Amino acid sequence: MPLYMCNSAKGTIDDAAKPKIAADITRIHCDVTGAPPQFVHAFFVEDSPAQPLGDKSAMLFGSIRSGRTDAQKAQIIEEMQASIQTHTGLSRDEIGMITADVPASWVLEGGEIMPEPGEEAEWLAKHGHHAPAE
Amino acid sequence: MIPCNCVVQEGQIPDDTAAALRASISEFTERAFGAPAEFSWLAVPERSGFTASAPSTSSIISLRAPRAVSLSEREPLLRELCGIWTDHTKCSLNEIVGVISDPVAE
Repeated sequence: MPLYMCNSAKGTIDDAAKPKIAADITRIHCDVTGAPPQFVHAFFVEDSPAQPLGDKSAMLFGSIRSGRTDAQKAQIIEEMQASIQTHTGLSRDEIGMITADVPASWVLEGGEIMPEPGEEAEWLAKHGHHAPAE
Repeated sequence: MIPCNCVVQEGQIPDDTAAALRASISEFTERAFGAPAEFSWLAVPERSGFTASAPSTSSIISLRAPRAVSLSEREPLLRELCGIWTDHTKCSLNEIVGVISDPVAE
């Protein structure tokens, strides 16, 4: 967690663009929230009924830990939409994004309940990782 | 029925393993919440899943409890759920994200 699930119309996002967008998603999430990259998942699917596209060509659904501010969420949305636009050529109007807050205590990752935002360093140390410099 | 959303990497879990996994998870939800699981199973295509910007081997299992669950109850349930996943798939605990959410507030 976070999990960023990008659903798009078939053929909209090619295989060359996916790792670039995933790298941007990871960087943006970490830059905005201070979270370490180990937690960031970015998955791409096509025409998935589980994540409706509505009138968009691409929709990014971000499940993020509760505790992020409205300003952080707005920045995440703005910058991730821009990344998808850059790497696909879609117009901004064709790209949608929403986020959903998930309490950290609802999530087990790496065999442990996820840390609350800002408490990641101790969690990572316990799992043999080192938090990156922020 | 207990809604249970699974996201896996395509080709990572053989069909027979997935079937046995779903059966064990449904037994788990019967024990924990008194109802079988109703699955949404999504396979992320090859070259389409990334964790920390690298190709992902991670799976996500997310189920919605029919009632509010305290942390003292939720944590052992999550451990059991993720344990079922690792037992069947032989993945590591670092490759499974388990979520048990409370019901949506009316």
